[in-house]
Amino acid sequence: MRVSYEWLKSMVDVPENPQDLVAEYVRTGTEVEAVEKVGANLDHVYTAQVVSKKPHPDSDHMWLCLVDVGQHNVDEKGNPVPLQIVCGAQNFNEGDKIVTAMIGAVLPGDFKIKKSKLRGLESCGMNCSERELGLGSDHDGIIVLPPDAPVGMPFTDYRGLSDTVIDCEITPNRPDCLSMTGMAVETAACLDEDTHIELPSVKQAQGPDVHDLVDVTIDDPELCGRYTARVVRNVKIGPSPEWLARRVIAAGSRTINNVVDVTNYVMYLTGQPLHAFDLGKLIERDGKRHIVVRAAADGEKLTTLDGQVRTLTSDMAVITDDGHTPIALAGVMGGLDSEIDEGTTDVLLESAVFNPGHISRTSRNLDLMSEASIRYERQVDGANCASVAEVAAALFEECCGAEVCPGTVDEYPAPVPAPVITMRADRVRALAGARIPDEFMSKRLARLGCTVEPAGDGTFTVTAPTNRPDLTREVDLIEEVVRLWGEGDIEPTLPAARNHAGGLTVEQQRIRKIGATLRAFGLSETSTYCFADEGDLAKLGMSDAHRGLPVQIINPLVADQAQMRRSMLPNLIRSVAYNIDHGVTNVGLYEIGRVFYGGEGKSQPEEPTFVCGVMSGHRADDAWDQKYPEYDFFDAKGAVEQLLSALRIERVRFKVADPEQYTWLQPGRAAEVYANKGELVGWVGNIHPLSLRNFDVDVPVVAFELSVEKLLGLAKRELPYVEVPTLPGVSHDLAIVVDESVTCETLEQRIKSAGGKLLAGVRLFDVYRDPIRVGLGKKSMAFSLEYRAADHTLTSEEVERTHAKLVEKVLRATGGEIRG
Amino acid sequence: MAMSDDLKAIEAQVQEGLRSVESPEALEALRVNVLGRKGSLTAIMHMMGKVSPEERPAMGQLANTVRTHVDEAIKQRKTELEQAALAMRMAADEVDVTLPGRQLTPGTQHLISQIREEIEDIFVGLGYTVEDGPYVETTYFNFTALNAPEDHPSRSAKDTFYVVDNAPEGKEAHVLGESDVLLRTQTSGVQVHVMEKKQPPIYMICPGTVFRPDTADANHLPQFTQVEGLVVDEGITFGDLKGTLDYFTREIFGKDRATRYRPHFFPFTEPSCEVDVSCGVCGGKGCRFCKNTGWLEILGCGMVDPNVFRYCGIDPEKYTGFAFGIGVERVAALRYDLPDLRMLMTGDMRFLNQF
Repeated sequence: MRVSYEWLKSMVDVPENPQDLVAEYVRTGTEVEAVEKVGANLDHVYTAQVVSKKPHPDSDHMWLCLVDVGQHNVDEKGNPVPLQIVCGAQNFNEGDKIVTAMIGAVLPGDFKIKKSKLRGLESCGMNCSERELGLGSDHDGIIVLPPDAPVGMPFTDYRGLSDTVIDCEITPNRPDCLSMTGMAVETAACLDEDTHIELPSVKQAQGPDVHDLVDVTIDDPELCGRYTARVVRNVKIGPSPEWLARRVIAAGSRTINNVVDVTNYVMYLTGQPLHAFDLGKLIERDGKRHIVVRAAADGEKLTTLDGQVRTLTSDMAVITDDGHTPIALAGVMGGLDSEIDEGTTDVLLESAVFNPGHISRTSRNLDLMSEASIRYERQVDGANCASVAEVAAALFEECCGAEVCPGTVDEYPAPVPAPVITMRADRVRALAGARIPDEFMSKRLARLGCTVEPAGDGTFTVTAPTNRPDLTREVDLIEEVVRLWGEGDIEPTLPAARNHAGGLTVEQQRIRKIGATLRAFGLSETSTYCFADEGDLAKLGMSDAHRGLPVQIINPLVADQAQMRRSMLPNLIRSVAYNIDHGVTNVGLYEIGRVFYGGEGKSQPEEPTFVCGVMSGHRADDAWDQKYPEYDFFDAKGAVEQLLSALRIERVRFKVADPEQYTWLQPGRAAEVYANKGELVGWVGNIHPLSLRNFDVDVPVVAFELSVEKLLGLAKRELPYVEVPTLPGVSHDLAIVVDESVTCETLEQRIKSAGGKLLAGVRLFDVYRDPIRVGLGKKSMAFSLEYRAADHTLTSEEVERTHAKLVEKVLRATGGEIRG
Repeated sequence: MAMSDDLKAIEAQVQEGLRSVESPEALEALRVNVLGRKGSLTAIMHMMGKVSPEERPAMGQLANTVRTHVDEAIKQRKTELEQAALAMRMAADEVDVTLPGRQLTPGTQHLISQIREEIEDIFVGLGYTVEDGPYVETTYFNFTALNAPEDHPSRSAKDTFYVVDNAPEGKEAHVLGESDVLLRTQTSGVQVHVMEKKQPPIYMICPGTVFRPDTADANHLPQFTQVEGLVVDEGITFGDLKGTLDYFTREIFGKDRATRYRPHFFPFTEPSCEVDVSCGVCGGKGCRFCKNTGWLEILGCGMVDPNVFRYCGIDPEKYTGFAFGIGVERVAALRYDLPDLRMLMTGDMRFLNQF
């Protein structure tokens, strides 16, 4: 809402400086978006004084004048010098105060003031009439100002043509503030001032009664709560008077013609949208026009004022001509066919209320917003229609030369009573936590237009004004009192809480631990969009089996964000690509986030949480004293192992991932992650080079994805304490040459089961391949074994005996041989 | 008195010898020569029995003194040699201390989750729990139960992502392009979930991802992070709301920051307000960063509307409460003066590793 300060000033006493009011608005809850200086563009037009006036030597009606414009025309020393102006007006004398446009001024109609010669004499400006300044039609002579007018003052300042507009953002609960009278009341309540709002009324109604010209039928009172109509005849379409045009422009509209401007002006004044139909364009039957408000038919068409053909639905309301042709989209926009134009003489004025819900949906469905729809969807005061129509009729009379027909057609099926609310003063104080006096409450509510009656026992009976749909309950009044009291003045306290305790749950702590562990490993946390492109899974080569239905966004911003993701991997690979594209080749990222598995017949999807990591390049750039190898499968696996270990998850196993199922992973470098009793937790592996190519990545990427729900389910608070050994152990190395097909896991298991109680530890420390020394298709695996007994120091004989037995068993079980 | 001369001569020899000894081996040889089993001083000690009984005490004392002197001198020389050797070793071991140190390179936490955890910890410290809810939410929890009227403009598809309802039976979409299922536009819906499950006292926050159809640019993201807070208890006042948020603001921005409460409107709270914090760049005097207002908007809040309590089966006469919503990206942007929020979503290692 653009609030003209000059206009507001006419209704309530406001501070001299608009910024002081802005501060009050901010304090009491009217958000101010901008404060702008506006005004008629009359630069270089000043108040002036006629110093001398002599007849023009070569003219019988023109005068040669010297005009003092103060400091605006000076000589080299800076002393004021009068301007020489040739003037044809007759209504002034020497010494008169006048208005002078100097060279450089541009008057309305793009009239540029230049230095000129009139009958041989130089003229350096123009003395102006009202019409020349666009202030009215008077052109009988130049403006003569009162003798006390100052000299050399910008004329816009002198006449108060300059204005300040406070652009307020009105919250949706305050339709009353979408009007100047509403803003005046709000301002008065903030400032604790009186309002003085005077609305015009028709001076002399004449001609036939409106009931003989128009009737109104409301088909469905649910769509239209009240419809009033008035008729004015013989309007003279033309430009609006300057004061009206100025206010309409300040409020944010263009001026169109006097009739349309009056409807807009009254809407800005009162908040009641109005519509003017050209009466002559409506069908006449039985000597009358018949307005019918009805629901639109599905598929019905209407060309609105903006020239667009609109296809309507049965949820929308239309104003029709005798029930048939729509002539306006109720509460949103008029129809083109009944528009006011140059030839309009008679006007049917609509002042009505329509259902906020229907208007809101209509506006959203047609993507059509108007000043009217903005007000109707926030609710317009039904009690006001007729009185607003009176104001508009009076202005048609004043500004359009109209003859106003007596009477108002008023269909008002169910008048809405003003709500009566009981307010407990103690409840106000209790909710605010502040000692607000009763007098403050009653006084300020009254300033807001409420009727406040003390009802004993510290309660008030409050009747809210009908233009405040947000005031229906006690708490609504409490809000008004608190905001006018000043939220800033309420003492801050902390809740005096009892019987409650807070804290993070074990699961929340563990999720933090997952992140901390991965960071300790060297991965950085990132955040990607939960959105996905329709083709993401296909690009990855990932089947959508077990990933539910995609959650489809009806109104996506961009086509490649039209679904919710079913895997975090695509966006993480995009992050890898982003880094590589920007010259960052070492990438290690993880994200903990949700994916979305929709279900047939289910409104809401499952939203499981996953932790997903991607690594590419090297763990770090080469340092001066060490080199870091390229990330490979075992880095991703190591991250997973470290994570599971931090969560104290036991019996972790990695099994070869089936390439048929894990199609997005490189066969031979992909594993399923199991824990506890064979529970599948996720996968780890190299992303398939073909999948990567679809995301424009041509370097290896290793990744893992683990179910956070599974991790949290398997995690343990603690594992049992294991005795720290006090007795020394004995180490033995063992290098076994086995077939490539024998896995590390198998070999380790064989060693452990062969070692018996005395084998305290097994650690692989080397894998060696050499076709000559080890043999083709074979590998040498070297383990460090540690023997220890819990109850005595082992003798070397004991160790040798045990070790020999172990070697024999392992070789037999694996078909391997000791590497010589 | 030949013996005493001998003793003095030995001491002098040792002193002389030590001066030329430059290695631990030479020192050991010298020690053996004097104090060893066949050493010169040992030999004299063996002859002590042949000294007359009268002379014996004095001679014995002298011999002991010499022996002590010799012993100490050798030990001292040994220490000197060891120190010299250590000094040499250390000199050889000298490094350029300006060479880079060797680090493990741990990863970093995303800026938004850092701030989110900070906020969680502040409220956990005040005795709050941390709650969660679905991202794909129904209009009931996102709007209706939060007192947003059926046809409220905030439900428009301009402000809300709607998703296809896979179970549309019996529901009617009123507006083209809208449905009963949506991506939550606020974490406020979690309030309702919690109040439906739990009786007061409730002290909770809900941090989480929310969505709005704002095209990503320097100041907007279609997916961002909110922390919703809710307190429901007997006797909760607007003053409690202020005290809590003042505490929060100072914890997160610094003790020297002031707050300002501007009345505002939210459907689910009444009275409602927006909270500003004094600008940290200019200290509230007004600058480019705060658009010359001296204040930066950080959150919205208010007293829980009685209608919301009724939706959740809580008696609004017995209980009052407050709720607030904090934009985590907003806090991050204010703290770091981030030029472009989109940096938060690219995964750029050069950005992530700064925090």
